[in-house]
Amino acid sequence: MYKWFAVKRILKGVVIYAITIFLLSALFNTVSEATQRSQIEEQIRLEQTRLKNLLPAQIQAFQVERRANLIRQFKLDRPIVERIIFRTASILTFNFGKSMTITSSKGERDVSKIISETIPRSLILFVVAAAIEIAFGIFLGLKQAQKPGGKLDRTTSVVTMVVYGMPVWWLAMIIIMFFVYTLKLFPSGGIHSVPMPTGIMYFVDMLWHIILPLFTLLVLGFWGTAFVTRNIVLGILQEDYIMAARARGIPERRVLFGHTLRTAAPPLMTMAILGLLGSIGGAIVFEGIFSWPGLGNLYWIAVQQNDIPVLLADLAVTIGLYQVGLISLDLLYGFLDPRIKVGGKS
Amino acid sequence: MNLKDTRRALLEFWNEFRKDTSGLIGLGILALFVLVVIFEPVILPWKDVNRKWRNIDYWIDNSPAAPPAWTNLFAAEKKAVTTQLRAPGKAESDMDGGVGKILTLTFPYRFTADKAPLDLIFRATITGDVPMTFSVQRPDGTGIELVSHFEPGLANQGIRVTLNNEANATTFAFVKDYVSEADLSSLNSGSLEPVTLIFAKGEPTMASKPMALKGDYKLIVKAMLIDPATAVIADPHFVVSGAVSGVLGTDDMKRDIFSGLVAGIKWALLIGLMTSAISVFVGVLYGITSAYYGGVVDSAMQFIYQIVNSMPLLPVLIVVSAIFKPSIWFIVLVMVLFFWTGSVMTVRSMALQIKEETYVEAARALGAKNSRIIFRHMMPILIPYSFASMALSVPSAIVYESTVSLLGLGDATIVTWGQILHDAMAGGAVLNGVWWWIIPPGLSIAITGMTFAFLGFAMDKILHPKLQTR
Repeated sequence: MYKWFAVKRILKGVVIYAITIFLLSALFNTVSEATQRSQIEEQIRLEQTRLKNLLPAQIQAFQVERRANLIRQFKLDRPIVERIIFRTASILTFNFGKSMTITSSKGERDVSKIISETIPRSLILFVVAAAIEIAFGIFLGLKQAQKPGGKLDRTTSVVTMVVYGMPVWWLAMIIIMFFVYTLKLFPSGGIHSVPMPTGIMYFVDMLWHIILPLFTLLVLGFWGTAFVTRNIVLGILQEDYIMAARARGIPERRVLFGHTLRTAAPPLMTMAILGLLGSIGGAIVFEGIFSWPGLGNLYWIAVQQNDIPVLLADLAVTIGLYQVGLISLDLLYGFLDPRIKVGGKS
Repeated sequence: MNLKDTRRALLEFWNEFRKDTSGLIGLGILALFVLVVIFEPVILPWKDVNRKWRNIDYWIDNSPAAPPAWTNLFAAEKKAVTTQLRAPGKAESDMDGGVGKILTLTFPYRFTADKAPLDLIFRATITGDVPMTFSVQRPDGTGIELVSHFEPGLANQGIRVTLNNEANATTFAFVKDYVSEADLSSLNSGSLEPVTLIFAKGEPTMASKPMALKGDYKLIVKAMLIDPATAVIADPHFVVSGAVSGVLGTDDMKRDIFSGLVAGIKWALLIGLMTSAISVFVGVLYGITSAYYGGVVDSAMQFIYQIVNSMPLLPVLIVVSAIFKPSIWFIVLVMVLFFWTGSVMTVRSMALQIKEETYVEAARALGAKNSRIIFRHMMPILIPYSFASMALSVPSAIVYESTVSLLGLGDATIVTWGQILHDAMAGGAVLNGVWWWIIPPGLSIAITGMTFAFLGFAMDKILHPKLQTR
């Protein structure tokens, strides 16, 4: 049963992703075609310089023929719907083409190479942050729910509301200003020192670079987690079976961590994954401020250098990751909540 | 729902609401914001900030990156505060052997700081031929003839005389009498700073180590009205361009940050409220329609909902802004296109229940059209429930706009907090520790967010009583 549920969910995710990319391809059709045409011209110029001993007329003929060839190759001569579908298909097969100016660390201009080297860097920062955040947030939320209306609960709730609309990148700016430029304790950004140290120092150096961004994410991050945990757990603690468990004399710790947390697992999971997905958006600016060379920082560079292919590919990959997150959320949810596994209309 | 019912419902709501301290605080801050927006023309120190934020000429008399004036309270060495000297003493006398007159304008200035202003700037709007001389009377009894200035044939045109640029030679001559031989050799009229010396004690070391001469100064402008019948000097005033300035200082382009901040309030509120109000309305309508019609319509609408819901807003918003260079209204539109999903699911599940109520059935039996049932019978019940989510989505709308602006992709015709922060990033405020440029705009965003969070959570507790603590 779960197998079918999983297959259905994944297929649906793929279809939704394809539709999303199609919509975006249609929206950005004009600008990406203009970019492609200018890239074709650039390529012809490049090839032309390699030609020697040709008459001007021959060069002209070469240009015209080559241009027609490339336009046919990229299907720029086809009707608009076909062009958009073609572009959608190439994005879905991770065929992003070449960048305008941005290069990968090895100097390649292949957009998929540029992007694939940034993904792990983003993941390491945000997954570590999310893990710590969730652990700490759930712990705090449980403590809050144990004594609702108590001192801890009230202060924590107020802090949650106070930081509710605080942009994490603004906090990052202030933290950098204070810790980097006033106290001079940490590097201003990046993931490694230059030159890159080797051996054990490689990891120490990375740790030194990751502390500040991690700290910033955590300072604002766990309040929301704690607040949602509190509300979920508070609802469950009022259930009859919790009272029954307590009446049977089961220790409070086991009631809390065994009975309550097990029931709360699916919604807590949702919250955790949605939180991680939510940080994808915030990551764009956050990474830019810390010059953390991940997916988000790539947006900044692409915006500043007006590199449309990288920008669009970055967007496609971000949405793809988001989609993967949503799918795995549903799969995990189905796994944790048996009612969904059996599922169906019965 | 008639007027009486609405009033009673509101009163009931208020009675619940006022028990919540944080909700009341939120309401109070919101009221304060609204008051500031209404009285903006009175509060703004720089009245034209809305139109001239990016106009360099408008800010030219300020000093760049000056800290707020109140930092003097904590500083060992007090700095002169940026002020304007208006309302001069006027005296008129006849010119020797001519038809013209001499108008003497005396601007008193009490100088109490330890550090001299950066510049003294005279401004006036002049018609006709008016040659002018500038001099200063110092508290120690000495005086300096500073500079003369003449622009012939002006017709209601502004003049601007900056003493720091134009009074070099005369100040040099004045200082020469005091300073020691050693200092004199290193001094030349090109590099000295006249305004610092004007406010320095007359000592041998006044050039190398100027000590402030505190007391009452008189800045005297003598204007020759060659043809007194037509010559006009309108709005003469001095700008004392101090090293500290205003409530929140200035940025490195000399703009007054407090003015920008005040001007940003209305945009933040507008962006936040408009986005959330429209999206909640659309979302409620969408949820009701989906639930009311059911079947294929419901499935199709749920699928569309899932597609929109599976796109992260911020990346899309940034790419759209980078490519289309949109106006603020377009940014709001894009946000609405993503925000409406927020309330759909709750509304849909509630609407599924309401749809089965007897009065809906009765309305249908009476021959009411679908649109009437949706708009008259279902919307009024469900809209109040979405007020909480409306308030709670205001902060995110404001943060999203600021984020887009922070990347330099915002609407360049308005002043928003995010744009101030973008300029701060670009101007190296983080690197140089210009905290008064970074903290206030972000704090404003955070406080606005907090306000709506207070309101939203308070309403949430009342509207969804399940979350109340026992």
